[in-house]
Amino acid sequence: MIHSLFLINHSGDIFLEKHWKSVISRSVCDYFFEAREKAVDPENVPPVLQTPHHYLISIYRGKLFFLSVIQTEVAPLFVIEFLHRVADTIQDYFGECSEGIIKDNIVTVYELLEEMLDNGFPLATESNVLKEMIRPPTILRSVVNTLTGSSNVGDTLPTGQLSNVPWRRAGVKYTNNEAYFDVIEEIDAILDKSGTTVFAEIQGVIEACVRLTGMPDLTLSFMNPRLLDDVSFHPCVRFKRWESERVLSFIPPDGNFTLMNYHVSSQNLVAIPVYVKQSISFFETGPCGRLDITIGPKQTMGKTVENMMVTIHMPKAVLNANLTATQGTYTYDLTTKVLVWDIGKLNPQKLPNLRGSLSTQVGVPKPEDNPSLNIDLKIQQLAISGLKVSRLDMYGEKYKPFKGVKYLTKAGKFQVRT
Amino acid sequence: MPYLGGEDTVRELRRALSNPNVQSDQLRYRNTILKVIRAMSQGVDVSGLFSDMVKACATVDIVQKKLVYVFLCSYAALNPELSLLVINTLRKDCQDPNPMVRSLALRNMTNLRLPSLMEYVEQPLTAGLRDRAACVRRVAVLGWAKLHNLQPNSEIDAAVVNELYSLLRDPDPVVMVNCLRALEEILKEEGGIAINKPITHHLLNRLSDVWGQCEVLRILQRYRPQSEDELFDILSLLDASLVSPHPQVMAATLSLFLSLCSGLPAVSLAALERVRGPLLAACGSVSRELRFTALCHIQLLLRSLPGLMGAHYKRFFCGYAEPAYIKQRKMQVLVELVNDDNVTMLLDELKGYCTDVNTDTAQAAISAIGRIGRSYSDRCLEILTGLLALKQEHITSAVVQTMRDLVWVCPQCSDTVCLALEGCEETLQDSQGRQALLWLLGVYGEQVSSAPYTLEVFIDGVRSEVSLGVKMELLTTTMRLFLCRPAETQDMLGRLLHYCIEEEPDMCVRDQALLYYRLLHCGIEETQKVLQGRRSDPSLGVLIGRPSEPISQWACSFNTLEPLRQGTVETDSTSRGSPEHVTFEPKPNTDLSDTLNFSLTLLLFLGDEKMEEDYMCLEEQIQFPAIPHCSPQSLQAAMQLVNIQTLAFTPPHTLPWRVYLYTHTQHAGDSPHITLILGELLYTGEANQRAVLKKALKGFLSILTTVLHTLSSERK
Repeated sequence: MIHSLFLINHSGDIFLEKHWKSVISRSVCDYFFEAREKAVDPENVPPVLQTPHHYLISIYRGKLFFLSVIQTEVAPLFVIEFLHRVADTIQDYFGECSEGIIKDNIVTVYELLEEMLDNGFPLATESNVLKEMIRPPTILRSVVNTLTGSSNVGDTLPTGQLSNVPWRRAGVKYTNNEAYFDVIEEIDAILDKSGTTVFAEIQGVIEACVRLTGMPDLTLSFMNPRLLDDVSFHPCVRFKRWESERVLSFIPPDGNFTLMNYHVSSQNLVAIPVYVKQSISFFETGPCGRLDITIGPKQTMGKTVENMMVTIHMPKAVLNANLTATQGTYTYDLTTKVLVWDIGKLNPQKLPNLRGSLSTQVGVPKPEDNPSLNIDLKIQQLAISGLKVSRLDMYGEKYKPFKGVKYLTKAGKFQVRT
Repeated sequence: MPYLGGEDTVRELRRALSNPNVQSDQLRYRNTILKVIRAMSQGVDVSGLFSDMVKACATVDIVQKKLVYVFLCSYAALNPELSLLVINTLRKDCQDPNPMVRSLALRNMTNLRLPSLMEYVEQPLTAGLRDRAACVRRVAVLGWAKLHNLQPNSEIDAAVVNELYSLLRDPDPVVMVNCLRALEEILKEEGGIAINKPITHHLLNRLSDVWGQCEVLRILQRYRPQSEDELFDILSLLDASLVSPHPQVMAATLSLFLSLCSGLPAVSLAALERVRGPLLAACGSVSRELRFTALCHIQLLLRSLPGLMGAHYKRFFCGYAEPAYIKQRKMQVLVELVNDDNVTMLLDELKGYCTDVNTDTAQAAISAIGRIGRSYSDRCLEILTGLLALKQEHITSAVVQTMRDLVWVCPQCSDTVCLALEGCEETLQDSQGRQALLWLLGVYGEQVSSAPYTLEVFIDGVRSEVSLGVKMELLTTTMRLFLCRPAETQDMLGRLLHYCIEEEPDMCVRDQALLYYRLLHCGIEETQKVLQGRRSDPSLGVLIGRPSEPISQWACSFNTLEPLRQGTVETDSTSRGSPEHVTFEPKPNTDLSDTLNFSLTLLLFLGDEKMEEDYMCLEEQIQFPAIPHCSPQSLQAAMQLVNIQTLAFTPPHTLPWRVYLYTHTQHAGDSPHITLILGELLYTGEANQRAVLKKALKGFLSILTTVLHTLSSERK
């Protein structure tokens, strides 16, 4: 199925290759480089390329291309998902997925790839199972390793593979039993000039960190489960019970995992936490333009908006910006033409404002495409959709676990048009 | 990756590896091996260390073993003789009490991929199949597939195949799936693993991890249930995974669903409705590649259920920072979703994309507006004319091309288009755009007052013109304009023909000029007949609002790479190049056919020779028995059986009813002539007698054959 994998960095160097069937020469990547050249922006490289003898399916993550070489017709979703799983695993193991970190841990990465795929077929992809076979490096362990010479390779058989719950290993023991759930929601929205919502939806995810002894069986219920439109679960969740009772019943994996993803789409009204008053205009005569942006809270349910940040991709003709901000700082990158205004906490009494003039190139017609504002924000202790966890029960074990739920709202692809 | 100082590194590593002090110190030995692997990944050629590494293999340290195996598998093919030394250690490891060591040894034994070692590998592999640890069995099963790949032509050992079949019932789900995969590879010649009823139901009830599930579902597509009851049993088992959170499982399930229900369109349609949620969720996924793939598959679904995503059209609005390939797909989807309620919203949205920084995206947006213009022409033309005012090169070019395509389908727009054309020739730079402009000038020459002046500029610059297409288009346009405005154009036509015949180096252009020259000799009426071919027929409606296709048309390409690939080609097949290339016809005498029930007009034969004569003399009309009002689809299907393709047809129940057909033939023999035949089937509606479709087709066929015979005899 998956014949080979090449990791290619931003500047087009292949810095890792792995072949599961026979060795395929690096020259197969030339087709990819050709497409990369044509696309100008690395993000625009089409994910599937056809060459005379192979298909190249690639994903772009963390400024790296994961390029797989396929010789037969396959299900594209299968391969794309698998490549993401590889990237996820690397991220999970080393904390980030970048060229430097992969090069530093090249041996572990090779081992991981060897375990994840055999003869081109996915073998062990659950991070719990992998972590028992190949232990992830920690600072402490790497110090110990250099002193004692032990390595990150587990030398016992992963027990999880033999338990009848494939995602959980048997015989887990903790002194402190705890289960934490983070409800994180991202608002994807497009607002038009006048502030009306063109499109808005919420992408939610529940991340869990469960450290419980034995084989606990958990049940998580919500105050308002009907809110959720599309849901997708970790394989541990019993789908039948969700369909009949709208509760999440599951035997959790050990450690960190994503319990569920959900969407709240525009059918339900999506609250927009901030409003933006803006005017960006370029004058017909004279090499300048004006910019005036004010941001204020809208539907925040009484919580403070933090980490506000506004990013504007200016038209190419804009040479410089001369602005004053009543709060926060702004930077204008002359080469990429990106204006970033870092506001910080939003104060409802004194609304932050950024205004001033833009100087444009002389002799160039005024830019006709208006830049759009991308907004970043964070609201602690609030799920903007109104989703609330009502209770968490545990069956199957005797002890009393420590439980906690945290809410966080972030801006995803939040964009205001001008 | 070139690595400087590679040789020194290798020398140093060799010294360290063969140093007895290092060898005796576990820690140092392992670290040296680690260095070797690191060097290997940096692209240093460390194959010279092979013999030293083989020695390092014999150790109790499992970590060291793993590292050495990584090395050995990479370089085994270069050192087949030395690899023989490893086999002994590996075989010993296969007896190890630790199952992890056993599986490691077994896997690497098969990963060496040396045909010379096969005889040593077979025995441990057979033992591995009966190992009590599941992880060893997993490796052993796939090992047989690898072994078979090494010597694909060798005899298949029936005993092994039987053993693998019996392991399908293994308690470990991964072993089961691996068995499937191995059998698929080993039995490829015989069409893969044989799927019968017990195996099917066993597999369906034991769907395991995500990846295995996809595999099982794919293989089960070969199974045909024996009864309706069994079919519905299977379908209800599959129902849950149809809304699986994993898009790849969902897609694989739907694919199987569609192949099982090929005889039950209602059930298939219900399945499509059911996957709408998961598909839309995949469209909003974080991974852009996933979003792209989901979009491509939604396009497929829309072919059969145009209304499927109607309410969710906002999901397909483009974000600012999305990659171009996603934006373009989203626009294609948006065009399909347009209706009376959302058209204003959609057009506003698309208008915003027209000024995108990426020129491809901008052009895609413009042609999307053009597509919508086929049903909502006024609003779209307003936007398109507005875009011309921006005076941007790539935008103007795309707009003019879009207008050309639009006018061909909706001739009623021509007035607005002609008004808009004034003055845009200055911004046009690329050949495609200029060709489109020329075509419009030629066809609507009377309505554009400045047409001759625009043409004059082109003709003055013909010497420096590089594009072949523009030159050919220029010739045709000037000829056409000459026919409707002779006084203004005569002089420049003369100059152009003179240049093209006397000086033009390209044969194609020269031939065309010669053709026109001779045509003019035949008299103005003949010329008119050839050049002022029929303009598009307002009632010709094939391209608007395409009818929903049966699911079976695309079911086989669902969840394959097909839908991801075709897109770019598909969108433009109708819009690139002048519409004339589709219907490049001398005017058929339609007025003659009044009395006929059915007439076939052969429009054009494009042979490889005597094109010019063919242009003029081929007009044939043949009578047919009338065809009862049959649906275009059935006609199309019937025609395809005899290799006649339909180009376009008028909607059913309109009169006169027309079908344009074409076919091409290949003359066998020493000279492979290809003849392209275009035909028009016309039904004026005066028929009273009824005849069956078959008869008409037979007639058509016999006529085509006779025509072909005459053609080939002419050649001789």
